[in-house]
Amino acid sequence: MMLARPWLPDALLRPPAVLLLPFADWLNAFSDYLQNDLQLTIFTRAIADVVQFILDVVNNFLLGGRKGLGLPAVPWLTVAALAGLLGYFLGGTRLALLSGGTFTYLALFGQWKLAMQTLALVFVSAPAAVLIGLLLGIAAQRKRWLEVSIAPLLNIAQSLPHFSYLLPVVIFFGVGHHAGAIATIIFATPPMIRMTLLGLKRIQPEIIEAGRTSGCSPRQRLWLVEVPSARQEIMVGINQVIMQCLAMVVIASFIGAPGLGYKLLLLLQSLRIGDAIEIGVSIVLIAIMLDRLTLAWAYRVPEYHGDERFLVRHKYLLGAIALAAVSIAIAALEPYFYFIPRREGLSTGFLWDPIVDWITLNLFDPLQVFRHFVALYILIPVRDLYQWAPFSAVMLLYTGLGWCIGGRTCALLIFSFLGFIALSGWWDRAMITAYMITVAVSVCIVLGLTLGIWASRSPSRAKRALLLCDTFQTFPSFIYLIPVIMLFQVNDLSAIAAVTIYAMIPAVRYTIEGLRNVPVPLQEAVTSAGANRLQRLVQLELPLALPHIMVGINQTVMFSLFMVVIAAFIGTQDLGQEMMRALSFNDLGKGLVLGFCVAFLGLTIDQLVSHWERRRKRELGLAE
Amino acid sequence: MDGKTSGVIRCESLWKIYGPDPGGIFRKHDGAPSDEALKESGHIAAVNNISLEISRGEMLVVMGLSGSGKSTLVRCLSRLVESTAGRVEMDGQDLFALDEKELIELWRHKMGMVFQHFALLPHKTVLENVAFPLQMQGITPDVRRAKALEMIELVGLSGRENYFPRELSGGQQQRVGIARSLAVDPGIWFLDEPFSALDPLIRREMQDEFLRLQEMLKKSIVFITHDFDEALRLADRIAILYHGKVEQIGTPEEIVMNPATDYVARFTSEVPRARVLTVGSFVVAGEGDGVEPVAKDTPIASILRRIVLSPDARIPVVEDNGRHLGVIDRNALLDALFG
Amino acid sequence: MLSKTIKTFTALVAMSALGATGAFAQESDDPIIIPTHNWNSQIVMSHVVGKLLERAGYNVEYTPTDSQAVYESVRLGDVTLELEVWEGAFGQSFNAALKKGGIVDVGDHNAVTREDWWYPAYMEELCPGLPDWQALNRCASQFATPETSPKGRFLAGPVDWLKHDQERVDALGMDFIVVNAGSASALWAELESASKRRAPIVLFNWTPNFIEAVYEGKFIEFPEYGKGCKDDPAWGPNKEETHDCGNPANGYLKKAAWDGMEAKWPGAYRILEKLSFTNPQIAKMAALVDVDELEPEEAADVWLDENEQVWKSWLQ
Ligand SMILES: Nc1ncnc2c1ncn2[C@@H]1O[C@H](COP(=O)(O)OP(=O)(O)OP(=O)(O)O)[C@@H](O)[C@H]1O
Ligand SMILES: [Mg+2]
Repeated sequence: MMLARPWLPDALLRPPAVLLLPFADWLNAFSDYLQNDLQLTIFTRAIADVVQFILDVVNNFLLGGRKGLGLPAVPWLTVAALAGLLGYFLGGTRLALLSGGTFTYLALFGQWKLAMQTLALVFVSAPAAVLIGLLLGIAAQRKRWLEVSIAPLLNIAQSLPHFSYLLPVVIFFGVGHHAGAIATIIFATPPMIRMTLLGLKRIQPEIIEAGRTSGCSPRQRLWLVEVPSARQEIMVGINQVIMQCLAMVVIASFIGAPGLGYKLLLLLQSLRIGDAIEIGVSIVLIAIMLDRLTLAWAYRVPEYHGDERFLVRHKYLLGAIALAAVSIAIAALEPYFYFIPRREGLSTGFLWDPIVDWITLNLFDPLQVFRHFVALYILIPVRDLYQWAPFSAVMLLYTGLGWCIGGRTCALLIFSFLGFIALSGWWDRAMITAYMITVAVSVCIVLGLTLGIWASRSPSRAKRALLLCDTFQTFPSFIYLIPVIMLFQVNDLSAIAAVTIYAMIPAVRYTIEGLRNVPVPLQEAVTSAGANRLQRLVQLELPLALPHIMVGINQTVMFSLFMVVIAAFIGTQDLGQEMMRALSFNDLGKGLVLGFCVAFLGLTIDQLVSHWERRRKRELGLAE
Repeated sequence: MDGKTSGVIRCESLWKIYGPDPGGIFRKHDGAPSDEALKESGHIAAVNNISLEISRGEMLVVMGLSGSGKSTLVRCLSRLVESTAGRVEMDGQDLFALDEKELIELWRHKMGMVFQHFALLPHKTVLENVAFPLQMQGITPDVRRAKALEMIELVGLSGRENYFPRELSGGQQQRVGIARSLAVDPGIWFLDEPFSALDPLIRREMQDEFLRLQEMLKKSIVFITHDFDEALRLADRIAILYHGKVEQIGTPEEIVMNPATDYVARFTSEVPRARVLTVGSFVVAGEGDGVEPVAKDTPIASILRRIVLSPDARIPVVEDNGRHLGVIDRNALLDALFG
Repeated sequence: MLSKTIKTFTALVAMSALGATGAFAQESDDPIIIPTHNWNSQIVMSHVVGKLLERAGYNVEYTPTDSQAVYESVRLGDVTLELEVWEGAFGQSFNAALKKGGIVDVGDHNAVTREDWWYPAYMEELCPGLPDWQALNRCASQFATPETSPKGRFLAGPVDWLKHDQERVDALGMDFIVVNAGSASALWAELESASKRRAPIVLFNWTPNFIEAVYEGKFIEFPEYGKGCKDDPAWGPNKEETHDCGNPANGYLKKAAWDGMEAKWPGAYRILEKLSFTNPQIAKMAALVDVDELEPEEAADVWLDENEQVWKSWLQ
């Protein structure tokens, strides 16, 4: 078909205009119907008020002020001390240093207020998302029809770009702190549902039977047997929720959430990269701290204190009270320990700016050749190819691939995903997006695999690399857009470079995990057969780890789709750019349709990869 | 055993069919679907028309290969799964007629169950696990703690009440499982391969322990195993299951000596007969020649030496109360063992 | 369970409705919500006005909001007013919102706005004749990149700012290709990079803006804007095309408000009508943050201290 292009009728080159369906108009009409006829806004605004009130209370607790309960703020010293104690309680000295240190950093660098606004958002959104996710997960486990209908929704929800959530939220919930919280909740709930469902399904049937034969009523069985037995997965779910919440910190500020994210965008706007990096570090620290705390909580060995004396049994509680009292007293004497205004905070901003300057001054010219080469010989040809390919051929190709790899349902799904994109009228834009992620993902695979293999060769290196992955994953990607532009200017290469930086994380992470989890007996068997390290890698480890690595590559595709939308801030001509435009003009329907286009691109790849991976795992006997 | 009410559990024509439409296929064949009909329509009869009865204080061991339907059978008997058809009576009460509430009551007071993989709650301590069924009944913490400690003592785990399951060995975990199932002092005790996950030495130890407990508690027991050795050590009666059907049910000796089907014969062919057969099966009339008498339910294995070493001795056999029965029929016995 | 939640919600709804109607009689205690956007002059100005309203006894809250989406929020009353309606950037959204209803025009600031092609001062050496557009066109090749070569590259603002640069390039027959940046940050990043290396660059910029305080530079002088340029082909040098002119060199900067504001906070509405800032005043607000690195609230305090004679009359 590709070869026959010159002879194909136009209708097979681009979706003919008569076939295009006005999805966006339908969605807008539907949204109008919800707003005007159903008066759903009364209901949603009431929810918004409730959320705002809760936020006010939390905010009041962290920052003081007249709203909420009208209490004075807790001194930063107290928060840091208590966080340190909590860290110690959950995970010993290291965690104590991490959590106490994070809060101290936030205070000393004069970011207390911003950080507390952000934390208030997390503290409200995360529990709400956990609760909603838990309940929906439980319901889905009970009711087969719910599970069946929720699964595809979750798939779509988890591949919709963050920005798609914003407009509906603005329209139904307004703007402000609460809107940010609600968008965050909507975004963070799907993984919780998934993990709850997974956890409940994984419980040994015997445990449930043990509950029943112990005489549990259905409610006792749920809360005393099933939920606690699924707690590992539920905890992982909670952890993911927290990470999602922090991923939304910057994006939530587009619809009115104050805090670190908002400040970050402002700083970037006036090119204060050093200060922006400082904020980025804060976000990373908060993310890693919350991540480690919840994980420590999840894997914590419960201790038994029933027989100990009151003092010993409640030593942490008493310690907390004592710490709080002492730190409040100190803060009362010395205001520095109560609150440090931003102007009095430390700053490393001046350190970063020369580094950025140095990079632009010294690397720009050497990179010039590279930039020209890549643009002329790789990007432009690939882009032209994607634009040139008849849409019918592309659809046929992918549907066929789906058929070969995953059978009929898979083919059908892929056909409808691509069909939607074609009928929505965004085919050309989607192909630009597709071209950018193709290039980015290819680079990610090559670099990510290489890095992953290198890092997996020693346990300590692997650990450090994984920490780096965590850091980059939570570091707000907006920040590195700026240096990337300074080096590559506003063009596709910049966008692709930014996407690559972010999307490489899962490729590296899953490669390391896959390679490090090859069963030891197999490694020994191959080593004793006389294989050297390279042979072992090629003959045993890579083939065995491949399914897991493919999961990583699948994630890489998802990450790159998220990032490609954010890269629209550099300046692109793809779906992301249109999405920004829809956001600016409050065009809910268009925004959602574009979001679906992005999601369906991702889901097409997801279908192919996950079917292949499942098949391969079964063949290797690695399936659960 | 006198007719209808003596059994603690009775089941009649019990069916459990798995597959796309169990009820349909069952009705379509008027309550007696043939194996072929089931297979053709993609169904499996995990329990295939089973009737049996367990009397008070009796231990019925259910045996069979993996997939023969043992677990399904106990789960039908305890109504952990809903049977396709048939009837189960427990102390004369129709089990399938109970509503959810009554069923929970029944579980709370009458039944205890031990599981192959222990099924302990990972987030609770030994003490809390054992006290769990009591907690479900809403018994106050003090009382349930006392009762649970008693059970823990009974299974010999005193001193470990505050351990978490993962801190215990497999044998210890199963002791917890046993203590938990006994905490409510059930009349009926179901054990689904309780020792299969343990290594042979521990298994042996646990069997001894179990016999000791049963000696004291005298529960009515349905015990599942796929280990014939274990069955022989424990059983009052053995039921052998094959593809969901009871091939034979009887005392260990009956099963070994008179296998009802080829399958049972093959199944028991490897069993050392000397361990199963008792002296009582080989008695002929006659007077002993003054050597020390043996009791009638002595396993042959323990006197084999005497029989082989003194070919001409006429060994007298007596009943438990000392009454003389006759002498050992040496030839019949050797034929049974080696013929 | 469900019925209980519904009850709670109806109660809440009823409460909020009561709160709204009860307030009509006199000045409301509800906070006046001022939107802040992502450029500092606007944020400082918001705080200046907010602090003034607080002095006048009102409750004030700030909420970060997208500068285009804000008109929808003003219409719905989610935010109460908008202090910087730029003719060029937001005129369209503002007019659209006006048409839909719910928003009112509260008059212009003294300040004028200009948004147009702009170059850093060092370009005058590299390309003699600037700021004239024809001079710029003569050195177009200096601005070329591999993607645009041999034509020059003009770095425009995001597409959604709707600046019609492409139309202008066509109408004036310029040897330039328009490349749209995705955000203001992207514009500044390129400017920063280029001016460090003293590399040729011509990009979209506007005033008042903090950039004036950091980089020297000038707007390109296109054929002067006149009525009809944008929709009458016969107008201007090219008789066949529209958009053959620059942007207005003195566009308006308006204030807007939710149409319920006047009834709910009449006094505050009067203040909003009176207040007006000039270009230098706004530039000063921006510089306090972007150059002196104050926080916006602090900057607002500084500005209020230094300009008491300016705002005093607005409060009477
Ligand atoms: N939930 C189920 N759905 C479908 N088939 C089932 C189900 N549970 C059991 N079966 C089938 O019923 C048959 C009997 O299973 P059951 O678990 O009772 O065997 P078992 O004798 O306990 O085996 P094992 O020794 O392995 O525990 C098997 O063929 C099994 O595949
Ligand atoms: Mg079984």
